[in-house]
Amino acid sequence: MAIATATVVEAEAGGESVRGARFAWLRSLRSPLTIVGIALTAFFIVFAIIGPIVSPYDPSQVSTATDAAPSWGHWFGTTHVGQDVLSQMLYGTQVSILVGFGSGVIATVLSIIVGLVAGYARGIVDDVLSLLANVFLVLPILPLTVILAALLPKSGSLGIILVISITSWAWGARILRAQTLSLRRRDFVEAARATGERPGTIIFRDIFPNQIAVIAASFLSTVTVALLTQASLAFLGLTDVTEWSWGTILYWAQSSSASLNNEWWWFVPPGLAIALLGTGLSLVNFGIDEFINPRLRQAGIGTKASQRALVRSRRLKVSGGRGARVARPVAEAYTNASTDVILDVRNLVVDYLGDGTVTPAVSDVSFTLRRGEVLGIAGESGSGKSTLAYAITRLHKPPAQITSGQILYTNADGSVTDILSLTPEELRKFRWEELSIVFQSAMHALNPVLRIGAQIDDAIRAHRPEMSGQARNARVIELLGLVGIQADRIDAYPHELSGGMRQRAMIAVGLALDPEVIVMDEPTTALDVVIQRQIVEKIMELKDKLGFSVIFITHDLSLLIELSDTIAVMYGGKIVEYAAADDFYRHPQHPYSRGLLASFPTLNGPKRELTGITGAPPDLRKLPTGCSFNPRCPAAFDKCTVVVPQLFTIPLATGGTAEAACLLYEDGAPASGISNGGVDSLDTREPVKEAS
Amino acid sequence: MRVVLRKAVFYLLTAWAAISINFLIPRLAPGNPADNLIQQFHGKLGASAIKALRVLFGQPHENLWQQYLDYWHQVLTGNFGLSFAYFPSKVSDVLVSTLPWTFILITVCTIIAFVVGTLLGTVAGWRRGTWLDSLVPVTTFFSSIPYFWFALLMVVIFANILRWFPIAGGYSVDETIGWNWGFISSAAYYAILPAVTIIVASIGGWLLGMRNMMVTTLSEDYVRLAEAKGLSRRRVMVTYAARNAVLPSFAGFAMSIGFVVGGSIVTEIVFNYPGIGVVLFHAAQAADYPLMSAIFLVITFMVLVANLLADIAYAFLDPRTRES
Repeated sequence: MAIATATVVEAEAGGESVRGARFAWLRSLRSPLTIVGIALTAFFIVFAIIGPIVSPYDPSQVSTATDAAPSWGHWFGTTHVGQDVLSQMLYGTQVSILVGFGSGVIATVLSIIVGLVAGYARGIVDDVLSLLANVFLVLPILPLTVILAALLPKSGSLGIILVISITSWAWGARILRAQTLSLRRRDFVEAARATGERPGTIIFRDIFPNQIAVIAASFLSTVTVALLTQASLAFLGLTDVTEWSWGTILYWAQSSSASLNNEWWWFVPPGLAIALLGTGLSLVNFGIDEFINPRLRQAGIGTKASQRALVRSRRLKVSGGRGARVARPVAEAYTNASTDVILDVRNLVVDYLGDGTVTPAVSDVSFTLRRGEVLGIAGESGSGKSTLAYAITRLHKPPAQITSGQILYTNADGSVTDILSLTPEELRKFRWEELSIVFQSAMHALNPVLRIGAQIDDAIRAHRPEMSGQARNARVIELLGLVGIQADRIDAYPHELSGGMRQRAMIAVGLALDPEVIVMDEPTTALDVVIQRQIVEKIMELKDKLGFSVIFITHDLSLLIELSDTIAVMYGGKIVEYAAADDFYRHPQHPYSRGLLASFPTLNGPKRELTGITGAPPDLRKLPTGCSFNPRCPAAFDKCTVVVPQLFTIPLATGGTAEAACLLYEDGAPASGISNGGVDSLDTREPVKEAS
Repeated sequence: MRVVLRKAVFYLLTAWAAISINFLIPRLAPGNPADNLIQQFHGKLGASAIKALRVLFGQPHENLWQQYLDYWHQVLTGNFGLSFAYFPSKVSDVLVSTLPWTFILITVCTIIAFVVGTLLGTVAGWRRGTWLDSLVPVTTFFSSIPYFWFALLMVVIFANILRWFPIAGGYSVDETIGWNWGFISSAAYYAILPAVTIIVASIGGWLLGMRNMMVTTLSEDYVRLAEAKGLSRRRVMVTYAARNAVLPSFAGFAMSIGFVVGGSIVTEIVFNYPGIGVVLFHAAQAADYPLMSAIFLVITFMVLVANLLADIAYAFLDPRTRES
């Protein structure tokens, strides 16, 4: 009784997510192709069961109506000895399906055993089993089954099932082994091992259920292969030719020269049945594939639909196109008083469109970026910061869509362009020339089969077709030199470089056309601390030398405070605080910012307790009402659950201003009695930026 | 290069396995195939033929290891004994006269199907979400049809009814086999219908595989970066997406080629093509075990060489496999 209660409680606690995962595959049933596949398969299975019952004649019974075309008496016509083809088909369905699914079951069981054991045991067992599977995979199945079938003289269905099973288990075993290997390293399996569970229990309770989809896919393809193999063997006369199957019908049709006599009714139905059942099974498999690999559901980038989805509506241009590239005067060093705006983002809204749902990822975000400025955007995962980075460069993919807003870019001649109004060709020319992006993981963002030099060179060639190969090559070497990569690595492939080198190469790609603005999306996250420091110093050095502006996105607040001029903090898709980096560090205004600053230690500040923020980042699909931070906010009051706060401007003691989206500042001044989280006492800190 | 060497060792191992399987099967089979065959041709076989047959398919009175060594000696000297279906020809002679037909037909068809299927798959994946998606059910259907059944349809439509192509055979009986124009053009003409059958039936697998890999590759960061750099769509599609998406097709060559070879061999029977398929058919009908097992070894060898070539191509295409 006690055990039962405990189970119920556990099920309720995890109910939502467990149910979501367990029945997620049902969603793939919605695809029309999958439905067609299931219907086709079910159709044949039904006839396999009722075939002999509804059959109008005995399939072997000869009659005087020989070689007759389809008629009311014989829907599918008759054979050269007057047998009814429809009856043969109905009886044959049973044997063909039995052999197909029977072989599928046995081969799948074999591949599950081999795959799970090899993947779980590893070592010598894995080596031997994998080798065996690979050998069977390479051996041509058909001649092998022919030999085996020929040695079991006129074997019945069972013999054929065994022959097909032992020749077709290898593919499934290989896939399951790979799956098991990757599952084996997952936390829940490690945990089970640590608690001393027996391997058999772990394999069948923890690993096996996670492979149902893969097993189903491998089962269905084995059934298809078995159907075709059985048909081939029967066609060759290697099965019992008096036992009706689709292949046997074809055997008799061929040996009676049905094709030469144009007796299409005789040989078309069995082949069509094999093809239709095979199609049905493959379509079901396609549905499973799309479930296993969600990427298959996305629209291709070569489609108009994906281009259209980028920006919801075409809008009027702010300026009449961009003139020829004009050399811009070198930017003056950035100060808080700079007014030279290069990028002006206004009320940007980015939504993720689902099945009839709209999930806001970026809501009404506005900020300006001045020449030479480093704007740091901070936020937890899911705060919308990466979506914002991609939206600014219009590199977001469906289902993300820019619903409204403007991204105004100031051209060299002083005119202003709305990036969102550019046509695809204008955008192609604009991007990289004026605005480039450095991706999070250089490992994934560099083409693994192309040399580093070529990946920089092609960007230059795409934008400066008039440039000679020699000049481009010189430029590539110059760029590599800028980021500290030796010229002789120009022909290296990405995998030949270290992680830090790859990230430098990524930055070189971003600098290729000397852009005005570079968006950096967590460019140092995957690197160790020493390399991270080198990369950041390189970025700052290049910024001072080349005078570009940077939008730097990261969850690493200490890094951001160090390198940014201005900081924007995102929460729940909104900017909740926007302030100069020094002001932000010394006087964080938003309770969330204070929480963030209280979650990490500083190197040279006094000791203090790290408090952090309770709770978890919000689910964008169901944001809390009012201020989305209110459930986690230590300073929340009644109004916070009702009113969505706008950014309020707050005058600071330093003479500057900060902006915070918090109702505490609704009346213009910080409300009294609110703790500053201890951060205000940190003003002994020397900004690292000035020291370095 | 080390990768290719390692692969070569693997294929040698597989060849050894295939030959050993071939050695074991008749010895594990119920009854004694060698005795059955000898009885079948009672009186027609000379003493040396009987001895060769026993070495290949079982000598109940000798120890297994000695049998195995004798067997290897026979196989390595290409002595597969006499064929029963084509009595009294030697198995090796039957193979020599039919293998070239099959080899040329399958090689040409596989290359065409692979190239065309991969190109179509590239475009279909690139334009996922357009009308090209309707290619998926259509090609699925075509890749599910039994090759030999499709061959029957082709014969009825294009040879019987339209009379565009000959019904059966490999060349016109008026020609003599050799390097003369009349024979070559006749052989090419006779090969069109079988070739189209094999290509149409096998193209779908390559197309669907490539399409799915394209769709998967298109969501990679390096494709997004290539787009961002402002490269021409053609370069993004070919050099960034397709160049990476095609790699699994080479890696999965082994399974596909075995399937294509099996299907092609049965197709030959419908066209009564003078290749190895018809021989296999006759051998199976006559329970000609010597011929069947030799065909199995020869086809296995062809498939292994094809795989090795695919591996070499893979090593050229993927710089990551070249070292280490």
